[in-house]
Amino acid sequence: MKERLTRELMALRAACELKSGQVVNLGFGIPTLVSNYITDCMDITLHSENGLLGFGPEPDGEIFEADLVNAAGVPVTLFPGGVAISQIDAFGIVRSGKLDISILGAMQVSEAGDLSNWLLPSKGVGSPGGAIDIAHGTKKLVVLMEHTDNQGSPKILKNCSYPVTACGKVSLIITDVAVIEVKDKRLVLRETAPGWSPVEIQEITEPQLVIPKNVLQMDFAREPVVSPSKIFQNVDHALSDIFDGAVILMDGFGGLGGMSHFLMVSLREQGAMDLTLVSNTAGIARVSSFGRPPSSGLQAIDHSILIESGQVKRVIASFPVSPSPSRPSAFEKALRDRKVDLELVPQGTLAERLRAGAFGIGAFFTPTGIGTIVEYGKESRIIENKEFILEKALVGDFAFIRAHKSDTKGNLIYKGTSRNFNSIMAQAATITIAEVDEIVESGELDPDEIVTPGVFVDRIVVRPKHFSPFVPINELTDD
Amino acid sequence: MIKSRLTRDIMAMRVAKELVNKSYVNLGIGIPTLVSDFVSSPRSIIFQSENGLLNYGPLANHLNPDVDLVNAGGQFLENVPGMSFFSSDEAFAMIRGGHIDVSVMGAMQVSEKGDLANWMLPKRGVGNIGGAMDLAVGAKQVIVAMEHTDKENNPKLVTTCSFPLTGKDCVHLVITDLAVIEVTSRGLLVKELAPDWTLQDVQDLTEPCLIPSADLKPLEL
Repeated sequence: MKERLTRELMALRAACELKSGQVVNLGFGIPTLVSNYITDCMDITLHSENGLLGFGPEPDGEIFEADLVNAAGVPVTLFPGGVAISQIDAFGIVRSGKLDISILGAMQVSEAGDLSNWLLPSKGVGSPGGAIDIAHGTKKLVVLMEHTDNQGSPKILKNCSYPVTACGKVSLIITDVAVIEVKDKRLVLRETAPGWSPVEIQEITEPQLVIPKNVLQMDFAREPVVSPSKIFQNVDHALSDIFDGAVILMDGFGGLGGMSHFLMVSLREQGAMDLTLVSNTAGIARVSSFGRPPSSGLQAIDHSILIESGQVKRVIASFPVSPSPSRPSAFEKALRDRKVDLELVPQGTLAERLRAGAFGIGAFFTPTGIGTIVEYGKESRIIENKEFILEKALVGDFAFIRAHKSDTKGNLIYKGTSRNFNSIMAQAATITIAEVDEIVESGELDPDEIVTPGVFVDRIVVRPKHFSPFVPINELTDD
Repeated sequence: MIKSRLTRDIMAMRVAKELVNKSYVNLGIGIPTLVSDFVSSPRSIIFQSENGLLNYGPLANHLNPDVDLVNAGGQFLENVPGMSFFSSDEAFAMIRGGHIDVSVMGAMQVSEKGDLANWMLPKRGVGNIGGAMDLAVGAKQVIVAMEHTDKENNPKLVTTCSFPLTGKDCVHLVITDLAVIEVTSRGLLVKELAPDWTLQDVQDLTEPCLIPSADLKPLEL
């Protein structure tokens, strides 16, 4: 009988698929072994659906911490900058497309990329666990399994006979004899194990394989590691790709604390136009005493600077205007002059729409706004004798997030009441830019105190020491 | 003779009497904010603020307060033991999820069915919803604290709200500068009256018909 790859070599071959900077989930069985071939310098963040990001190998010796295990219940260690997260965050990462690659075991894989890995029909009951969420949510799904079952029958089939975990999601199959790409519902043989010919592999595979001329022998070489830093010394570079028409999630509740004033001022210099701002207010700090220290004859910079520069075409907010009608904000004036549009959203609905967006949920039913203008044009439904309206998820192209500290991996902690919308907006944008007081080395923040895991943070800018978030009140354009 | 109405402080004091020890309470902007000054013993009520704060203490009383310690009205707070901070989505999970016992809000209008209008003056054309709509549907009990009439002496307790609604059928108790009124399925039930004010005096300043409670009595503090 021909020699097949060992489980270790299979895991090594799978590890070759990983690229620096990726977030990776490994399933039970052979996939777990892949972690042995990930080194610290590869900058891979391992995700475990029980709520871990950035974990490392099993601890040496007998030291065993019951509160630090992976989804298989195996004790692990945390790499510096690793963080424990909640179940909600763990699957939010999966569903929202932040999980780059997932390597799972399988009972069967079909020609079309269907995966069966949760139920042996003869057993009658099985455990989908996180597999269905992960198989659907991951950007790239790799199956790592033996090519045939215990009886030598093919596991790669025309159609799965077992219940499927996900349809058409598998893009690569790595077995103990071959590497096969799933492409347009066909299986393309890419590599063979040493000593195996394409014909021999076809013999133990049910569907017809596409066999290109250049089938390679399996290669265990890995790409050189280059991981770009998240830290931007120059704020202009951090904002350079903000485009006209971008949707920006802008942090803060309304006052001085928790607003990324430095990014705001820098965006005015950057000059992108036709922006949509998603924010609790549309700039009220300048026209109210909200969050203004009594000692200062100073007022906080707010959204008004972007309204006045004509960069904003639309605002989605819950508290858009000054509490006092006699002191209209720049936004209220622009609204009156029809220079901007407003979508008014109840505050809790705004937070939940962002949460849904962050976590890959399309929409949700809420009781808030029944019988008010908020329900116009929206689907409503009676659920368990209570009326609800359908609200859609909200996401941004960019998020500006004021936080207290970051580490080099982008893990964030906040101060006091300045967390509010910031931590949820950080999770709901394609590109999240954090403005922090200080950046520390990864490992310096207590993993249990980290609020926003670095997987959600793309760029970090330090607010300069000399930067003042204030302008003297008499210098404001107050007519 | 012009009869005197209750002061804002007295109204807040009367609201405070409704709060049961250890309950979770959210206070809106305006008169409701004053309520925390009148709870029976300090920290006997757990106040929640929708900007992500639980179990806060008194307002800060110094010139250079912490900008990262404010309530949802933007007022600075003292740093006291036992507070916890959280995000807006969690703050509203508490509110919508039924974990807040009482929401005290101001109002522009309240209808006899308990509809609440408190977010927009139609003539302004724009207003702030803030957390009010979520609190209206989410809090177990909604208490409105407001003046009985507007600046032109028009009733704010109305048959049907003419201003845009914050919530339908959500107000349980209204405490004004003239009376304490419960919203019931039969209509507005007057429980207490301000000193020197008769039921008829209050009825004259109220649009819907008031029902006197069997134990109608002077205001109790």
